[in-house]
Amino acid sequence: MSTSTTGAGPVAANPEQAAAAELRSAVARQFGRSLHIRTLDTGSCAACEQEIRMLAAPHYDLHRLGFFFTPAPRHADLLLVTGPMLRAFAAAARKTYDAMPGPKLVVATGACALGGVYQPDAFSYGSVEPVLPVDVWIPGCPPSPLALLQGLLVAVGRLAEKAPALSFVVGGSS
Amino acid sequence: MTALILFAVAAGAWAAAALAGLLTGAAGGAAARAGCGLSVLGGAAALAGGIAALLTADSAVLSPGGSIVAGTLQLQATSLSGVFAVLLGVVAIGIGLYLPRSGKEASPGTAVYLCAYNLALMASLAVLAAGGVVTFLVAWESMALLCYVLILHRPRSREVAGGAFWFLALSEIGFVLIVAAFAILSTQTHTMDLGMMAARAHLVPGAWRDAAYLLALAGFGFKAGLVPLHVWLPAAHPVAPADGSAFLSGLITKLGVYGIALFGFRLLPGGPAWTGVLTMGVGALTAAIGILYALGERDIKRFLAFSTIENIGIIVTALGAAMTFLAYGQRALWAFLLLAGLYHVLNHGCYKTLLFLEAGVTEHAAGTRDMDRLGGLARLMPRAGVIAFVGTLGIAALPPLNGFVSEWLIFQGLFQGFRTGSHLVAILIVLAAGTLGLTGGLAIYAFVRGYGIPYLGMPRTRQAAAASERGQPVAGPALLATACVALAVGAPVLLVGLATAVRRATGVVLRPVLLPGKLTVIPAHLNFAGFSPTYLAVFLAAVSVVPVLIYLAGRPRADSVVVPVWDGGMLAFRPRMQYSAMTFSAPTRVTFDALYRPSVSVQRASDDPAGRSGPVHYETAATPVFERYLYRPAIRAVEWLADFVRPLQSGDVNLYLLYVFVAVLVAYLIAAL
Amino acid sequence: MPLWFIRGLRRGVVTTRYPARPDPSASAVPTPPAFRPEAITSGVGDGMVAICPSRALARDGDTLIFDAGACTACGRCREHAPAAVTASGEFELAATERSGLVKRIQLAGEVSQ
Repeated sequence: MSTSTTGAGPVAANPEQAAAAELRSAVARQFGRSLHIRTLDTGSCAACEQEIRMLAAPHYDLHRLGFFFTPAPRHADLLLVTGPMLRAFAAAARKTYDAMPGPKLVVATGACALGGVYQPDAFSYGSVEPVLPVDVWIPGCPPSPLALLQGLLVAVGRLAEKAPALSFVVGGSS
Repeated sequence: MTALILFAVAAGAWAAAALAGLLTGAAGGAAARAGCGLSVLGGAAALAGGIAALLTADSAVLSPGGSIVAGTLQLQATSLSGVFAVLLGVVAIGIGLYLPRSGKEASPGTAVYLCAYNLALMASLAVLAAGGVVTFLVAWESMALLCYVLILHRPRSREVAGGAFWFLALSEIGFVLIVAAFAILSTQTHTMDLGMMAARAHLVPGAWRDAAYLLALAGFGFKAGLVPLHVWLPAAHPVAPADGSAFLSGLITKLGVYGIALFGFRLLPGGPAWTGVLTMGVGALTAAIGILYALGERDIKRFLAFSTIENIGIIVTALGAAMTFLAYGQRALWAFLLLAGLYHVLNHGCYKTLLFLEAGVTEHAAGTRDMDRLGGLARLMPRAGVIAFVGTLGIAALPPLNGFVSEWLIFQGLFQGFRTGSHLVAILIVLAAGTLGLTGGLAIYAFVRGYGIPYLGMPRTRQAAAASERGQPVAGPALLATACVALAVGAPVLLVGLATAVRRATGVVLRPVLLPGKLTVIPAHLNFAGFSPTYLAVFLAAVSVVPVLIYLAGRPRADSVVVPVWDGGMLAFRPRMQYSAMTFSAPTRVTFDALYRPSVSVQRASDDPAGRSGPVHYETAATPVFERYLYRPAIRAVEWLADFVRPLQSGDVNLYLLYVFVAVLVAYLIAAL
Repeated sequence: MPLWFIRGLRRGVVTTRYPARPDPSASAVPTPPAFRPEAITSGVGDGMVAICPSRALARDGDTLIFDAGACTACGRCREHAPAAVTASGEFELAATERSGLVKRIQLAGEVSQ
């Protein structure tokens, strides 16, 4: 489910982007009002997990947005992955992904899962990419609960992504 | 009369079957199967006779002869015994169909077994058809001795001998008490004829009456399996062959219930409330303790034996509550709870026999009775899985099957305890109902375990994985499963028959306050509750169509992918990682550890920290509370008494002559005075 | 328990209105850096690349490659060259393409992706 959009609405610049936009609106229809999230720790330091936990706290309250945590992959729509994907865990991660019924989304969060911090070595893949197909990437170390909320809303199509348009240059579009 | 004729036919068929079994059991083959066929025929005749006895008035007492030694043979078919005869017929048919393929090798042992089994059927029928005290006692004792022979079918280990001995010993103690009870009644009513005794019951003074009833409760309680008189059940059931255990649990324990019903409802009706409350209390305690011990068992047959104890407790609770209600003048509830108890007798006989036969099939197919060595049998033996499932649904009292209906009736009877008018008794009845509620919940728990561990999941050993259904008996268990469903869906029809029987036994006309419409059952009073087992079954069947329709409607829409079962992401899920029977019941064993008093022993191969210490041997056992604190002291007391008395039998002839002289002197003095 | 209830009633609703309204706590969170390309010489650039603990910065000729996905917002690049780096204040960084998080910054002025 990888698409490439830079704006808020469907931009039918070419057939591929039109199909992607249609896919995106289908996702928004399917998951926009109720999404069940299964978290997966592939070897993180648990700081990301702490921030994810805070999503259920009254201040951030993900339930008001229609998001719920579930421990069972069979009931999950979205897999929220943290950690640098240890090789010892890869098979279990793949099994968790396979156990989710389609349509399903994968969101990788935290600098470890995105490929920073750890190089691929004998113990870890360094990032989630080699093992699972990721739909949305959420940077941060750890990402604040607000960043996580934004990422989840982008995943279900309720918010448009902003990061590709940012330039991280002072005085630019940053 | 018809009933007695049919009983005679049944007895004849069983006698022929016994002879056939004795002659052909060692050879096996078609002749042995013919013997089993005769047994089935006898069962059908007994069933027909039972139904006839149910529906007609109590027949007159027949005295077709006898002998000076054994006394006159007196036979009578009553409605009460008709109910139990129906059960006898059904059990005989089921076991008779099971026997040919039960896996017994053709040997002299099998010949003796088949002969003893059919004679035991005859003896049971004689107990039910007995019209006089002597006939009853002779039949009772023969039945007990023949069952002892049944249990000893494969006497190759100490366990078998031990189990059979417990059965015999407790049976004999019970017999002594039963003889005492009958003796009291006979001397007080000056007759040996059961019908006359019932008619003259009001002549018996109160104290003798209560004494007779208590002796009968205890004596028949040994056979029925009331706590603390139950210890032979878990000892004898695992070691007897499967059909032997089925016969014991399905029928013989019910003969104990028949005895209690005989004394409580026919020979000595209208006793004081405390006898009813005592019976009810003993029943409730039995039910709770039975199911709690069942949860600690790995051996399927011991588990089923304790479940039998639980169900006997439920039945006896119903009977006790009935007697209590009568003492407060509630005749409708008296009859109703008797009916509910009898209905539960029929139900339990069906599904317990079924479950024991399936346990036999399992043991034969997988080679073991230990739940923790089985698993996945429902896939390997589909027919056995389905049949056992029907039996499990029945015994766990889940709608729409028969266990649910009869337990509903018993509960609705108990809930009307407020009609007694006495606060104390009403509270006690509510306590009994609460205990039965606890029992019901634990029973569901226990049977989820009893079905789930051996039949579902993955096989835990290679032996279990090699189990196959080929050559296993199916007709007998299948028939019993059909009977379970029929008893449930056809409950209104059955209740009409039982109401007739109860009317003859108690004189209370139950029909209008039991089945006002065609298919709705009402517990004795119109303003309390009601439901229809037939409509419930139809409704459940109809409702279960809905998910099927949803599936069929949604199926073409999405491509489905087949993925392995979600097992928590484990890489190599081994069958041994599944729930075991003991871990599944661990929460209950921890909660009730004051009852189990478990002893735990742990031995590690080395002192290294956990995970690296090598093999660990863990053993836990529930303390056998009744054996240790009740029976062993009693046995020691008897041994002490025997030691004390031994000097009397010194072997010295002169001492014996002195005894003779003293006895004659005493007799002379008494005669002279 | 009643004290807790009353305290809660007095405090009122504390749930954030995000995403309908911006959340005031957003400014308290460390965020990835924003660069002043004009202040980054090659020496400064190399120093920042060396000091980044999660390999979020790399130099390709006269382009600074900043991987916002790998950035842990530790602030070491800002400590090293405070004139060239400041906190960007951006925390809504989710992207559907991994490449959308990799920014190329011309060390002589313009921005390119």
